[in-house]
Amino acid sequence: MSGVVESTIQFPYKRSLGPVMSAFMTGLRDARLLGIRNGDSVLCPPLEWDPATGESLPNDLVEVGPAGTVQTWTWIAQPTKMHPLDHGFAFALIKLDGADTPIVHAVDAGSIDKMATGMRVAPRWRAERKGHITDIEAFVPGEAAQGASAAPAEGTAAEPVTMMDYHASITYKTPITANQLRTEQANKEGRFLGLRCPACNRTYTGDRGYCPVDATALGQEHEVDLPQTGVLSNYTIITPIQYPGQTETEPFSRIHVTLDGIDVVLGFQSLIDVPVADVRIGMRVAAVWASDAEYVDPDPRWEGRLIGWMPTGEPDVNDPDLVNRMP
Amino acid sequence: MAAANAANAAPGANPDDIAIIGWSISPMVRRTDKTEAQMLLEVITGAVEDAGITRAEIDFTCAGSCDYVAGQAFSFVQNIDALGAWPPKRDSHVEMDGAWALYEAYLRLLIGDIDTACVMGSGRSSTADPALIYPMEMDPFYLAPLGVDAASFAAMQARALIDAGKVTERQMAEVAARCRRAAVGNPHAQVAGEFDVDTLLAEDYVRSPLRRHDLPPITDGAVAMVIARADKAKELCEHPIWITGFAHYAESHYVGTRDLRVSRSTELAAKAAGIEAGPIEVAEIQAAFTHEEPLLTEALGLGADTIVNPSGGPLAANPIMATGLVRIAEAAGQIRSNGKRRTLGHSTSGPCLQQNLVCILEASN
Repeated sequence: MSGVVESTIQFPYKRSLGPVMSAFMTGLRDARLLGIRNGDSVLCPPLEWDPATGESLPNDLVEVGPAGTVQTWTWIAQPTKMHPLDHGFAFALIKLDGADTPIVHAVDAGSIDKMATGMRVAPRWRAERKGHITDIEAFVPGEAAQGASAAPAEGTAAEPVTMMDYHASITYKTPITANQLRTEQANKEGRFLGLRCPACNRTYTGDRGYCPVDATALGQEHEVDLPQTGVLSNYTIITPIQYPGQTETEPFSRIHVTLDGIDVVLGFQSLIDVPVADVRIGMRVAAVWASDAEYVDPDPRWEGRLIGWMPTGEPDVNDPDLVNRMP
Repeated sequence: MAAANAANAAPGANPDDIAIIGWSISPMVRRTDKTEAQMLLEVITGAVEDAGITRAEIDFTCAGSCDYVAGQAFSFVQNIDALGAWPPKRDSHVEMDGAWALYEAYLRLLIGDIDTACVMGSGRSSTADPALIYPMEMDPFYLAPLGVDAASFAAMQARALIDAGKVTERQMAEVAARCRRAAVGNPHAQVAGEFDVDTLLAEDYVRSPLRRHDLPPITDGAVAMVIARADKAKELCEHPIWITGFAHYAESHYVGTRDLRVSRSTELAAKAAGIEAGPIEVAEIQAAFTHEEPLLTEALGLGADTIVNPSGGPLAANPIMATGLVRIAEAAGQIRSNGKRRTLGHSTSGPCLQQNLVCILEASN
């Protein structure tokens, strides 16, 4: 095996905050720290329930801080890109004055030698705040909050903050298996690679590692070439939603193709030059590969060298069981 | 939820008693070429062969794994390919360590209508940096946006213990040295060898007060285990290893609401699992960070006579999502191959030991 494929998964989340966290985040936007009463004690950051009993807490918020005491800490000499600061800093549990539980946040102390359990810290507010835990850039040694006046800025909207954005992004480097490499090579040559299980005789697409029925490994010795023609056995018409990163604007089809004479279904294929209104189960189709000239600059919407599938013009297959075939 | 044998009934006497009858642990490596499904296929084959059965005879399967680690939503669905699930199988999944998959299978068998289950845990952490993934699994409002990683959480708990006089950095280094020495000769250890405590203490901090030796390795690995109800277990296995206590408890997620110097859920789980019913000769505990070992052994109420992590524990190999089930397998191995009578496997999940599971095993008479 050789090679690794790098892929980044991204999720742009918009989360609703609910009444308790909305109040807390609105407070942050206004450079105020709030906790929630839980009987005789105050939780900060506020939770919606008593952590010991699970009972809902009445929406009784009180101001805490701005300063607090470090209960415990750690020093991060080499921050990751997920961390709030790009130079050495501490994470700490900080019990704000008036709160009974500590909050997790960063302390920008300058050096590890400045950190100590029991030290006093206060927030350094970000100049532009939106109602987010990072409206506090970090805590800093001392008693006085920095970076914002006590009152919200002139012209601040009176509307509470009710939503929070979170853009998650993770990059993975996944090894490519030998079967996947051979399947990709076959695709470059305009072929569909299949694998036939020696125990049960079922055929699978070439990128599988094993027969899932018999749990036996499949490899080069089990390779077969799959047919280039088949029948459209299922489809969906996708109406593009404009999420971040979406490139499609018009509805388009994705089809399943059951290959001729063999129990293999290629899923989610492209159908070429067929208006969405004309897509139908039973249509006979053939694979369309890029020519050498076209393949010099492949379209990223192709599947490697495979541009998609086109109707052959032959009469449709009439089989009510077709739609039950699964890739 | 717990079960503990009546004090004077031999384990296996009751038809509802559940036993471990086979298992298989994968190689533990920094980086595997195999897919997660391939790793599972191999340990499932190993476990059913160890139990003396075929996949077809498994009535229920349950897997523990994590989509964030695998890099794909619903990754556990394609992992089902490793089960040989045709004809279709009763199957379940937990987004937890395989130890919790074992707990679910144990409960499922208590219903009494089926006899055997295969459980597994798997994790291929090598494809991404765990320090970048872990924060996303935390509270999305207060923690994830700060990117607080597992080692940072652990370090804050370590400092709380040091400040309270419950452990020193030297004692933590001694735990690391002892575990990696114990791992020598364990074919399922990734990090093993002789380490000098003073040399370790001279290294820089990674997350003060934690140094590199205080942290677990990043490991790709998997484990599978077969359990059975009493009659079936005795039919298939000469010396079934009985699960005589099994419980887990969860605490509040946000670390600020907990006293980090103790582990209340571990205390509760141990009691509910019936730990006090007899001595524990060997405890395999999921102490992935050195300071967690004294904290957990105290919470479990273990005495000086209990051998802790003779396998080397997670400091020797830490396949996230399988580590806990590997502990239970190693605890079972102490009964099967090392003459022990009563052992314990522990697993944990969440920041600063948020949730804890205790599984007590006993030898057949």
